[in-house]
Amino acid sequence: MINFERVSKRFEHHDALRDVSLEIAAGEMVFFTGHSGAGKSTMLRLLMLLDRPTSGRLVVDGNDVATIRGRRIARYRQDFGIVFQDHQLLFDRSIFDNVALPLEIAGFHPRDIGRRVRAALDKVGLLGRESANPIVLSGGEQQRVGIARAVVARPKILVADEPTGNLDPGLSAEIMALFEAFHRVGVTVIVASHDLALISRLRHRIITLKEGRLIGGVGP
Amino acid sequence: MKPPVPSAGVGPRPALLRWIDHHRRAASHSAQRLLAEPVQSLFTCFAVGIALALPAALWALLQNAEIIAGNIQTTARFTLLMEQDVDIEGARLTAETFEIRDDIERIEVIDRRDALVRFAEDIGLFELVDNLDSNPLPHSLQLHPDASLTPADLDDLAQVLTAVEGIEQVVFDTQWQTRLQAAITAFQRLTGGVGVLMVLGAVLILGNTIRLGIEARREEITVIKLIGGGDGFARRPLLYAGLWSGAVGGFFGAILVALLFWSLAAPVDRLFDLYSVDSRFTGLGWSGALALTAVGGLAGLLSAWSTAFIHLRRIQPR
Repeated sequence: MINFERVSKRFEHHDALRDVSLEIAAGEMVFFTGHSGAGKSTMLRLLMLLDRPTSGRLVVDGNDVATIRGRRIARYRQDFGIVFQDHQLLFDRSIFDNVALPLEIAGFHPRDIGRRVRAALDKVGLLGRESANPIVLSGGEQQRVGIARAVVARPKILVADEPTGNLDPGLSAEIMALFEAFHRVGVTVIVASHDLALISRLRHRIITLKEGRLIGGVGP
Repeated sequence: MKPPVPSAGVGPRPALLRWIDHHRRAASHSAQRLLAEPVQSLFTCFAVGIALALPAALWALLQNAEIIAGNIQTTARFTLLMEQDVDIEGARLTAETFEIRDDIERIEVIDRRDALVRFAEDIGLFELVDNLDSNPLPHSLQLHPDASLTPADLDDLAQVLTAVEGIEQVVFDTQWQTRLQAAITAFQRLTGGVGVLMVLGAVLILGNTIRLGIEARREEITVIKLIGGGDGFARRPLLYAGLWSGAVGGFFGAILVALLFWSLAAPVDRLFDLYSVDSRFTGLGWSGALALTAVGGLAGLLSAWSTAFIHLRRIQPR
């Protein structure tokens, strides 16, 4: 599904990734871990085409991403669901409209949008709050709205960058349980997290990065 | 929290339906946004309205000036004074030779005796005229040129008439008409120039508003791009915001022009009467107001498009 082939990324003053080779199978759930600056975020940024490799090849779903440019970038990103550390919700609209955004972009019928948004909110335990503004929610609830938005269009790949960074251990475990639930129905899930205590309790591959190098891929 | 349910329902729809749906949503969302900040929106629309009202008012004035000019032109006529030794039969023969010309609509022969009577009536000195030994006036022809002739054509016609044998003098002053036409042409250019500048002004006003709108929505645009929305998706609400503000601005402009002309109507109609112009002072009318609304909308669309083109690419997810 996702193949990093000897990928390096050099920024002006440092090497963010050095010669990383990694294969993630379809339907797999993996964790990227390491200290901040180790290259976790860079891996995700390359995957989302927010940055391009300096050298090496990144192949996603059989396509070399170097060939994906211009208008095709937006289409490519629609295959992903993204969860951000700071959830990136829009506070000028309701929870419903936040979650509906990917469906509007993908062009779903309004009737389907309503059904799917409610289904997604149901999955994250926020059904019945759809007309509220996300600003009234707690941090954990906001993150769950972010997750609902990431999965509402049923993406092939779910990517989360430090999704529990701002949450207490109890809420973090709940969020991880949600990701596992999506993994169980066949979604490829990639989570970057430095919360080693939390992720090592879950039985999934953990990919550790240090100073831009892969130093270990522990199997489940 | 429940586990995810298996996929159900319909997927994305065909491109055309999706496109229509995007437009429908963008149109209503941007209208709602404008209504959510009524003071700011009214301000923008008024600025656009004032910018568009000036050239529109000039244009409407120009239409009135052209009506007056046309009206005067149709009343133009030549007076051809025959030579003293040409008798009334000779005058009639000359008149007949003119009748085949396309550029002459009507011609009448005025006998020198009738002319003297008319002259006497005009000055009110019948006795003086009665005491004249002989009639000093020649026979004459009143010639009404075709209404479609331009001042230049009239000049040419005057030249032709002067060369005709038996005609002593052609009385026709085309100079003032040429001047009027020149003034109208200058006025047309002025209207065109002011129009271009003011529409450009409206485009800039709207462009600035939309740029501020883009800045205010930077976060939203970033999120849209991150979750797979293209530039088109991010641009569409901005285009509609431009379209709505511009069109409402244009409509405000039409109202301003209507108010201006309403206050001008009475004195200008009096002026028309004094110059025996058979016409009423007219403003933009409904079609003009509609056209101004459309011009405003187009200006808004143009400015939104160019502003979005420049600024949207700068917003890339970090």
